[in-house]
Amino acid sequence: MKTLVSRFRPEQIRLLFLIALMILMVVFFSIEIPGYFNARFVNRISTSVVVVAVLAVGQTLVFLTRNFDLSVGSIAGFTAYFVGQQMWWHKDWSPITAVLIALGIGIIAGSINGVLVAYGRVPSIITTIGTLAIFRSFLVEYSHAVPITTNNLPRWLVNLSSVVLLRIGEVQIRALFAIMIGVVIIFQLVLTFLPFGRRLYAIGSNPDAARIAGFPAQRMVFLAFLISGALAGLAGFLFIGRYGNVTVLAGIGLEFASIAAVVVGGVSNAGGSGTVVGAFLGALFLDLLENSLFRWQAVSEFWRDFILGMLILFAVALDNVVFGRLKNVWARAGLQMSTEESNEPEVASHVE
Amino acid sequence: MAIPPEKSPVMEMRHISKRFDATQALDDVSLTLYPGEVHALIGENGAGKSTLIKIMTGVYQPDLGEMLLDGKPVEIRNSQEAQTHGIAAIYQEPMVYPDLNVAENIFISHQDRGPVVRWGKMYTDAEAILAKLDVRLDVRMPARGLTLAAQQAVEIAKAISLEVRVLIMDEPTASLSQHEVTQLFKLVRSLCSQGVSVLFIGHRLEEVFTIADRITVLRDGKWISTRLRGEVTNDMVIRDMVGRDVKDFFAKGTAERGDLLLSVRNLGKAGVFHGMNFDVYRGEVLGFAGLIGSRRTDVALALFGIEPADAGEIVIEGRSRRVTSPDNALRLGIAYASEDRRQLGLVMPMSIVSNISLPMLSHYLTRLGLLRRRKEIATAEKFRQRLNIRTPSVQAEVARLSGGNQQKVMLSKWLNAEPKLLILDEPTRGIDVGAKAEVHHMISDLAAQGIAVIMISSDLPEVLGMSDRILVMREGRQMAILDRSEATEETIMAAAMGHQSQSHMGVGSPEGKA
Repeated sequence: MKTLVSRFRPEQIRLLFLIALMILMVVFFSIEIPGYFNARFVNRISTSVVVVAVLAVGQTLVFLTRNFDLSVGSIAGFTAYFVGQQMWWHKDWSPITAVLIALGIGIIAGSINGVLVAYGRVPSIITTIGTLAIFRSFLVEYSHAVPITTNNLPRWLVNLSSVVLLRIGEVQIRALFAIMIGVVIIFQLVLTFLPFGRRLYAIGSNPDAARIAGFPAQRMVFLAFLISGALAGLAGFLFIGRYGNVTVLAGIGLEFASIAAVVVGGVSNAGGSGTVVGAFLGALFLDLLENSLFRWQAVSEFWRDFILGMLILFAVALDNVVFGRLKNVWARAGLQMSTEESNEPEVASHVE
Repeated sequence: MAIPPEKSPVMEMRHISKRFDATQALDDVSLTLYPGEVHALIGENGAGKSTLIKIMTGVYQPDLGEMLLDGKPVEIRNSQEAQTHGIAAIYQEPMVYPDLNVAENIFISHQDRGPVVRWGKMYTDAEAILAKLDVRLDVRMPARGLTLAAQQAVEIAKAISLEVRVLIMDEPTASLSQHEVTQLFKLVRSLCSQGVSVLFIGHRLEEVFTIADRITVLRDGKWISTRLRGEVTNDMVIRDMVGRDVKDFFAKGTAERGDLLLSVRNLGKAGVFHGMNFDVYRGEVLGFAGLIGSRRTDVALALFGIEPADAGEIVIEGRSRRVTSPDNALRLGIAYASEDRRQLGLVMPMSIVSNISLPMLSHYLTRLGLLRRRKEIATAEKFRQRLNIRTPSVQAEVARLSGGNQQKVMLSKWLNAEPKLLILDEPTRGIDVGAKAEVHHMISDLAAQGIAVIMISSDLPEVLGMSDRILVMREGRQMAILDRSEATEETIMAAAMGHQSQSHMGVGSPEGKA
């Protein structure tokens, strides 16, 4: 126990567990479904996970500060439409311009959330339910319900989803996937190595202490929402790159998918714990499951959602019960290592 | 260490005054800290200790007076500025980040460790600091699960890493065991030898005498004395702490003591309080005195079933009872009016009527289970007159009433349950003098009607004026039960501070009755 405990942290054990579960799942479905696991399947998953995974990265930052961002689906939808329309009108604009527009819209939308939550002290669940509706109606009003299709878009954007950067046998590393991996790596580094990242953990972990220490907590919560918005904008760009079609319904439900991903990935809404890599693995897990169930003839569509829902509840319960206990075991084991000189009984014996 | 005259002070607080609404929290208080000294600051609850340290750490601004660092006047507007001046505070409950590891907790507040976190360097630096303090902790451990003592060690390490010059320790020993206190004092000594000046706030006199070089006593927001440890005795300090003129308080009428209502035998709750033994008679007011952290409220919560006791016996009218929930307690005739009106006592956005009938809603139902509004209103009107609640209407929101009137609504709510035993927790805290007298009058009336009252109060003159007997607690233990005739501020304070006094200690069942 001691070696296991000292080598891995509970958070890491949790992620290893998630990976093990994914491998088991692949093995199970390989037996159940003929021709299930091959390079094409890997390529499909690596493309379909990108949008939710990028949203989950932003959602992780917001979760660390004990908040929610429910507006990311609407931001992504609106951005996808707006970027698509600009590219339709200005066929000569470069991909960089498209990405910058997407980030810009996301930043504006995220700042609105951030100002309301951090400075207006409106609870984030209320704020972002509000902006979820507002950004969605912008899209409906702005688009006049005219969809954007691949016919309207410049060639590079239509072909973006099949741009392959690297081939390993038949497995392709596509551009969209590479962008997503870049985002995951960058933000994992931000959270691990920048004072800003560490302080996000600090303010979520103990807001009172952070206040006494004089951290600019409001500004940091604002920035978390701003970044979540920016990444939702980027996700909007990835959305149009992946699907090529944008309707007024674009991105509906993505907020819940992103929350499910971070929860399964072990990011706690009690603040202060979780990683970007975890959120990515959560997104990957859910995407893998959804795609596999889709191909599994044994279950109907209804049962698919049922299984998905059950798994999310299972993940949360597992977190609270098993990993909560594991954390305590870990803490105690560590304590024994550190204070062997003190053999005082646990109960405080008071001074007389 | 005596104060070598050649040393110049690190920090001086000169003629500091601070007022909050009606209360003068600090009145012309001065305090000087020399490098390398441990300066103890003591006083009763509400003496102004917290206000003073909050001014030193920039949480509050003084109305009058000035602060000097190294002889130069400074202004400290927030905790960040206090930190840059080298002033830090450690509280009774350490402020660590449970999800961050020990090393991160030490360095998280640093502004100058570069744009990128260098984990390896942070671990070696943290280990170096802890080694200097002779503390053995795995710096890679998350702070979650560390003992309070270990968390304090982390905070002290943090203070050292920030090159603190003035360290304020606000009751750091309150939740520590004897062994941990010894360890902590070793840390404090090693801090002082490095020239840090420590302001130590404590409630245990023997600890103060162990650690302090000088002792300053505050009382009612005023500076009373500052003396070298060698020049003071326990008695002098206690006299300084309580020696105010006893104001003319409403005194409880001497109601005839009725039958025995409640007996508590060896009542305890693991880690909170233990060995409580007392009786309460009908028509009697039993005062509960003690300092903050003496666990008086926890005993009340146990009697009312919010945090049930796990040892001992509660005997009500001769029958042994288990009190497991407030509902249960109400049925046994026990009511508890909390000190925290906003959080636990009243539903602020609801009307007076709804608040009063809330615990007894089942008495206001028609056969179909609907509320009988008219009966509720009648009850509220009855209490409005009886307790003189000043409000335009009983339908008014409780949040709009003054503190005194809110307190009356809360009393109404519990009186409506027709309790045999009423537990009042700080019944006059935060209400003005007029309302206070009214509340005292009411308590006296209730006792005269045969209700047994337990009154928890930190206001010594109030306890002395209102109680027939006074139970003094200290850190979860019953220190003494004093009869009205033998109780003085000095005897109560001596017991509350754990100082041996002449009065009889321990279990004190009243003479005469069995």
